[in-house]
This record gives sequence, C-alpha cells and structure tokens, in this order.
Amino acid sequence: MSAVVNRIYLYKGYERFWHWSQAGLIFFMLFTGFEVHGTYEFWGFKTAVEYHIYAAWALLVLWAFTIFWQFTTGEWRHYIPSLKKVDAMIKYYTYGIFVHAPNPYQKTTDNKHNPLQRLAYLAVLSLMSPLVWGSGLFYLFYGVWQPTWLGGYLPLDVVAFVHTAGAFMFLIFIIAHIYLTTTGHTVFAHIKTMITGWEEIEEEHK
Amino acid sequence: MLKVIGGFIAGIVSVLVLAGTMMGSFMFREIESPFTVEETAARIQANIQAKKDKGWSLSGLRDPVKPLQAAGENALPVLLIEACSTRYSGPMLKDDKTRILSILMPCTITVYKKNDGKTYVGLMNAGLLGRMFGSKVGEIMAEVAADQASFIAFDPSKPAPPLIKGMPGAGGGAGKEAGGGC
Amino acid sequence: MQWLYARGLLLPLMLAWVTSVAFADDPKTTAVPAPAPTAVVAAQPAPPTPATPAPPATPPLTAAMANKDHTTADHSRFEALQKDFKSGPEVTEACLTCHTEAAKHVMKTKHWTWEYIDKSGKKLGKKNVINNFCTSAISNEKDCMACHAGYGWQDKHFDFKNEKNVDCLVCHDSTATYRKLPGDAGHPVYERKEFPKDSGKFVEAADLKMIAQLVAKPNRANCGSCHFYGAGGDGTKHGDLDSSLKKPGKYLDVHMDAQGLNFSCTTCHQTDEHKVSGSRYEVTAVMTGNAHTRGAKDDKNPASCQSCHGDKPHQQNPLLMGQLNAHTDKLACQTCHIPEYARGGVGTEKSWDWSTATKMGPEGKPIATKDSAGRRAFDSKKGTFVWDSYLIPEYKWFNGDMNYSARGDKIDPSKTVNINQPEGTAGAADSRIWPFKVHRGKQAYDKEFSYLLNVHTAGEDETALWHNFDWQKAITAGMASAEMPYSGKFDFVSTEMSWPIAHMVAPKGDALACAQCHQAESRLKGIGGVYMPGVDGNKYLDMFGWAAAILALLGVIIHGALRTICVSRKKRGLACQRW
Repeated sequence: MSAVVNRIYLYKGYERFWHWSQAGLIFFMLFTGFEVHGTYEFWGFKTAVEYHIYAAWALLVLWAFTIFWQFTTGEWRHYIPSLKKVDAMIKYYTYGIFVHAPNPYQKTTDNKHNPLQRLAYLAVLSLMSPLVWGSGLFYLFYGVWQPTWLGGYLPLDVVAFVHTAGAFMFLIFIIAHIYLTTTGHTVFAHIKTMITGWEEIEEEHK
Repeated sequence: MLKVIGGFIAGIVSVLVLAGTMMGSFMFREIESPFTVEETAARIQANIQAKKDKGWSLSGLRDPVKPLQAAGENALPVLLIEACSTRYSGPMLKDDKTRILSILMPCTITVYKKNDGKTYVGLMNAGLLGRMFGSKVGEIMAEVAADQASFIAFDPSKPAPPLIKGMPGAGGGAGKEAGGGC
Repeated sequence: MQWLYARGLLLPLMLAWVTSVAFADDPKTTAVPAPAPTAVVAAQPAPPTPATPAPPATPPLTAAMANKDHTTADHSRFEALQKDFKSGPEVTEACLTCHTEAAKHVMKTKHWTWEYIDKSGKKLGKKNVINNFCTSAISNEKDCMACHAGYGWQDKHFDFKNEKNVDCLVCHDSTATYRKLPGDAGHPVYERKEFPKDSGKFVEAADLKMIAQLVAKPNRANCGSCHFYGAGGDGTKHGDLDSSLKKPGKYLDVHMDAQGLNFSCTTCHQTDEHKVSGSRYEVTAVMTGNAHTRGAKDDKNPASCQSCHGDKPHQQNPLLMGQLNAHTDKLACQTCHIPEYARGGVGTEKSWDWSTATKMGPEGKPIATKDSAGRRAFDSKKGTFVWDSYLIPEYKWFNGDMNYSARGDKIDPSKTVNINQPEGTAGAADSRIWPFKVHRGKQAYDKEFSYLLNVHTAGEDETALWHNFDWQKAITAGMASAEMPYSGKFDFVSTEMSWPIAHMVAPKGDALACAQCHQAESRLKGIGGVYMPGVDGNKYLDMFGWAAAILALLGVIIHGALRTICVSRKKRGLACQRW
C-alpha cells in the first residue's frame, strides 16, 4: 500500500500570506467581538472595541490587496461554483472517508478547490461576508448615518443582531474548516500545504 | 512512566497557578457594609476603642484620596483606619526573628465605596498571615484575627458615632506619649 | 566678546526692572487706588466668609481689589457712594442714580419674581412650587426670603414694583462680608448678631459704604451665597453645588479650578439685562451643532457644554470613526463627565423625612443629632436626614421639560409622589440620558383633599412648627397663608424630587470609563431606548448561535472519532463498514 508522491506548487506566496493573516485577523475579531458582545471579559470593553476596529481596518486593507491580486492573476476563477461531482464529495465525506476510499477529487493548480469547497467559499463570499461586513461597517460608521434620515429607520439593535448572527456563522465555518484540514492523507497534510505551498498528491500504486 | 511524571508536574503547576490567582482572596477579606463610608469607619473606630482591655487604640485615620485630589484627580472615597495593640505588637517587636513584621503595623482596616455605590470593608487575613511565621506569631495573629472580627461587627441599633480624624494617639494601650497608637 | 559681556550685564538689569514694574502696584501697598491699573492677574474669588469677620473699624479689603474686573469705573470715587448707608434700599437708591435701568431689568427676572410660567401656562417658580426640602416659602417668608434678591418680602403684601427693594449688593458684593440671614426678610445684617441662635458665633454688621464702593461682577461666592446653601444648609439641595466650589481644585471642577481656568458662574451662565441664562426651569437637555463663534449670531443657551465645546468634542484616532462623539446623540455630556457628584467634601442630602419631626429627646426637649461626618442626622424641628458624598447619579431620559407638582395639585398617597418629573422619551431625538440627584423624603399631605400641605415652619410665633412643635397648628396657619382649605386631617406621604446634575465636571481622565456602562453591571441598566453593546443583545440569537456552534463542534468530533476508529481497524485488517 505504498504511495507514490507527486508534489505540486498549489498555493503561491501571496495567497499563503493572505490566508494566514486573514485567519489570524478573523480569529482575533471573533475573540474581541464576543468580548464587545459581553460574552466574557479579557481586555476590557474599551480595548476590545478598539482592537476590533483596528483589526477590521487591517482586514479591509488586506482584502483590497487580495481582490486586486485575485483579478490580476485570474485566481478568482477558483471561486466559480460548480455542481460537478458535488454528490461524490458528499458521499466521500459521509462514507468514503471512513472506509479509506480515495478522495474523488484531485487538486490541481488549475482546480485548487473541490466542488464542496467552492460552494462553501461562495457562501462565505456571498452570504456571510456581506452580512458581517455590511453590518460591521454600519456599526463602525454609526456616527455618520445615525443623524441622517436613515437613523430613524435603522435601529442599532438590528445592525448588532445581523453582525452577531454573522459572527456565529463565521465561528461555525471555522470549526468545520479547521476540522476538514485534517482530512488529507495525513492529519496535518493540508495545513502543511497551506504553509509551504506544496501539495503532496498521493497516487495509489497499482 | 513519563506520562505519570508529566501528569504530576502538570498537577503541581496547575495547583500553583490556582493558588497564585486565589492568593488575594485568601490574604484579604472584603465585606459589604450597610452604612456610608464615614459611618462605617466611625463604627469600626468605636468598636476598636471598645477593645481597650486588649490594648487596642486608634493610631490614625488616613484618606489616601486627598493627595490624589491635590494632584487634580478623583477616586471614590477610601478611609484607612489604623489601630494598634501593644499587647500584640510588643512580643513581635522584641524578637529579632519577628521584628520585620513591624511592616504590618499598625493594623489597617480599609473602608471604601465602589462603583455600585455600596460601602465595603477590607481586612487582612491576620490568622493566615500569622501561621506563615511560626507558632508564636500564629498565636498572636489568631487573637488579632478574633479582635478584628469584633471590629466589623456592627450594631445598627446604636447611633452613628462621630468619625475620629487625625492621629488620636494617646489613650488605650498606647500610653499618653505614644503619639499615634503603638 | 565685548558684546557678550555687555549682554550678560544687561539681562539681569532688565529683569530687575521688569520685576520692579510688575510688583509696583502691589495691592497691599496701594492705599489710594491708582485709576484702574490693567491687572494681569486673573480674577480671584473672594475669600470665604469668616465665621466672625473682623470688626469694620479695620476694613479687611482695600479698594484696589475692586479693580479686578478691568473696570473703567472706580466706584469708591463716586459721589453717590460717599455716604454712611443705613439700609440696603438706601444703597440701591444710590446705585440707581447711575444704573437707571438696572432695577427694571432685575424685576423681570426669576431672581426677583420667584415665578416662572411654563409652556403649559402652569405657574411655577419658588413662589408656587412645593419642594422636597423646606417644602414651601409661603408663610415662612422672613426666613426663606434671605435668598430673595430684594429687601423686605415678609408676606404677600411685598411691593414688587418698588425699585428700591431690589438688592444689588447680594450679587455684586466683592468683599464676602455682605450676609443676609434667615429671619430678616432679605435684609442684610445691620447690627452685629449671634447666628445661629445660641451658637456663640456672631455675624458682624455689614459695612454698606465699603461694600457699595467695592462692587464688582458676581463671583462664585456671590451666586453661592444662595445656590450653595439651598434648603437651609451647605450642599443640602443640589449635590453639585456647595461651598467647596468657592475655591475648588481641578479634581472637583475642571472649569472652576481656582488654580486653573477659575471660571466664575457667569462665565457659562452669561447674562443679558440681568437675566441669567441656564435655569432648571428651562433646561437645555439637547444641543446639537458647533460651538458658538464670535461674531456669529446664536441665540442658543450659553450655559451649556456644547455652546463652547460643540457636539463633537472628542479627539480620537480617526480609524475609530468618532466612537465617542457618536455617543452625543444619546447622552448628555454630564452623564460621562460628572461620574459622581458631591465630591468636594461637603456631601449632600439624600433624604429628608418630615414624619419624625416634633419627636423630642429623652428629656422631652427638642434635640438635634449629627451623623459620623458631622452632618445633620436628626432635628426635632425638621425630622430625619440622610447624607452622603461622592454619590453616583441616577440616570433618566430627559428632554428639558420638568413636570412639577405645584401647590394644590392632586396626589395619589398610595404611591411615591414625584415633586417633579423629568420628561423625556427613551431613544427620542429630543431627549438625552441625563444624570440626576434624586432626593427622597416624606412630607405632610391632606388626607381628605389629597394634596401636599403648606406648613408654617419658621418664625417665632405660636403657630410655627419650629417654635411650638405642633403639626396641627403649623399646618392650619400655613394653609391659611396659602389661602387653601385644610380638612384637619394630615398624614405623611413618600415624595421624591429629581435634580439634573450639571456642575462638578471632572477632568477628562476621570470621565466614566466605557465599561461602567458597557457591561452587565451597567450604570445604565434598564435605561431603554438605546442598544448598548456589551449589555444588550438578542438572547435567542445567542442561544441559537452557541447551540449551533456546539453542535458543529460535536459533529466534527464524532466525525473525527469515527475516522480514527476506522483507521485503526484498517491497520488490523478489519473492514470499517461492518460495525
């Protein structure tokens, strides 16, 4: 049952930098955010609020660069959803993975994400991010829109509700995301790839 | 084997961490008072003076907020009641081994207000502190602790006594020339 | 080299010259004042009133001190004031010879009329309302009118049209020797007398000639002579106004700081035709827009924080998008910047219970006791008091309108009677969260007619409560003076009164910290009308969110466990799908 290992360079330098700094910022914002929400006390309310806002600005800057990078490099295509093989992927995660069946999907430099991943990231991009960022920016710019006509129609409760709901979605996404990193051919294989950029492709020896 | 040793060390570390974080609440006690800061302090002073038979006398009353105010800042009220008993200070002051404990003299009880608007009394856990310095000091401090308990026993049926400001000095076990308790 | 040497010699010489010039006009050495030297020194508040001022034979102050206002007129040289005045009205007559319109102005103000008609047409003002302290001035004029800016208001026959009755000196005395005592119906002390009675302390007769010659713009002690001592004692009434503000440290009030900005009351309470701006009867609860600017026409209340600071006063890192300034749409400045009141050491009264008044001491004689801090705790004349200092305000939404119970208003004795009720709507644009001192108490009401009673308390006559200790007689007399029916049956009802807090502004470092509101144990707990991060939140969302997160975690744990089991079974050559 030995495997021949092919190595491909899957994640470029900027991509890895983006991923890890974004991961760090999202963790940090979840942590500070739930403190602002009153779930626990760690830094103290004032510091937590300030850190949360600074991290938000940092993430915005990171995104500005990343969006630019995605489009100049054409990497954005990896987020185009596809329903092809989705059923096979679902079957793999609910059954195949336990019987050590081969992953129906092989990563290539042209196709970094499996169809489920594509769907999940699309959900992040099109649902969760707009929720959290939209409400977050409203929260941040409260002093700007509150005195205008909008202030009469949009109570802060609603903004906060949406923002908190988005935060919970991110929390759940992270739990699943981190768990799924362990589903490579070794437990840390995916994480290693995200650090070094090199994916080791396992091929069954016939 | 390695696991056992590792587990043992981890256990010790966690106990130490726990002890470190709990230390404050062992060394000090905080109780709520139903009275204002001034009245609480005055009642404690009266209770201390009632223990003349045990050598207690007032050494002074400090307001640590005053210098802060002079520096242009605010803090909620704090009053430090200082008291001393020659009966307890004497044996400790006479012995070279325990002379360093003079650092704890005079005995201080603090009365303060918190942001909830309530008055609190803070005390040193004299009993525990004494046990850390051998049996002789332990015995003395056990008595101090018992007296302390009587200082914070309030009788609301009694009228509020006036607050004694400054350094009352003379009286009690301090001797007339003692100038500030012990 | 030569030049350097010369400069080295010149500098000390110049310094010496400058110094000698600077100290040439030392007030102590100036017997006769030079015509108004332009003083460089900022206005200093007058020294506090001594318990027993020095006898008038040696005037404690020189005329030079009057020049602190940068005035162009030295009143000590005015012919009309070269006279040994016998009474207050005589002084006023002299004042009016030059200031012909002054009395007419004063007569239009609340300081004179003690009356205010609110938006609804209701008659308020000290003449008409009942308060939570001494309750009512009617029938007690001789005592209460010690704080009327006039002379001789001792009953309803007072002549409000007589200009000579206007008291100029109570506001314009710069010597702190002009005192008006209870019992004299607003007249100053003409003859040395013991005050308080049987105290062994004496108040000297006012030297009206000297006082008149040294008149000046009002300082904190002038306004304070009444406003610090409201309800009959230092700090009793307001909580944010007491004698500690005569010479406050920076900690107590950042603007009135005697060593710093040294604002007088009128720095903020700008006056126009003797009308003082900023009254508790017409509070500016909300003010938006920028600070007033010189030259720009602006009729907004000058006695507001915003008139100088604008509504966006906080400087912050721009990345924080004006977080602090964004609070001004919900909070009054005072809410954060006066975190506690009565901080000057005087303290303030929290409650006054009249129902225990007339209780006598053990020997059947009236008694008075003090609390641990030396403040009144019980008085057979007045009842039971509770005092404290460094008090945490109570917070309420407030739009500036106060709904007062005036004399004769029906009350519900089964509930606490609100002597005044701050109006306001939670979250509304016309309201802000304000800090209040809430003073609680008990006072007499008519059991049949259900209104608060007017009690004749002060005086030396047989019906005065403080003389005869008889409630029935005192109420009967008080109600007769107020020309209101009394059923003859009285009891005591719980009352409370709210006082907006606006003075004793702490330095910015001592403003409320964020967490004092934005945490579970919030100062604004239950205030409503505003979403407060850290306190509020949708509990169902939290429950659902955490449940979903825990389920997700459980799901991946189970999934992972199954995988682990399968891997180990596979190693042993067993199939996974069969178990």
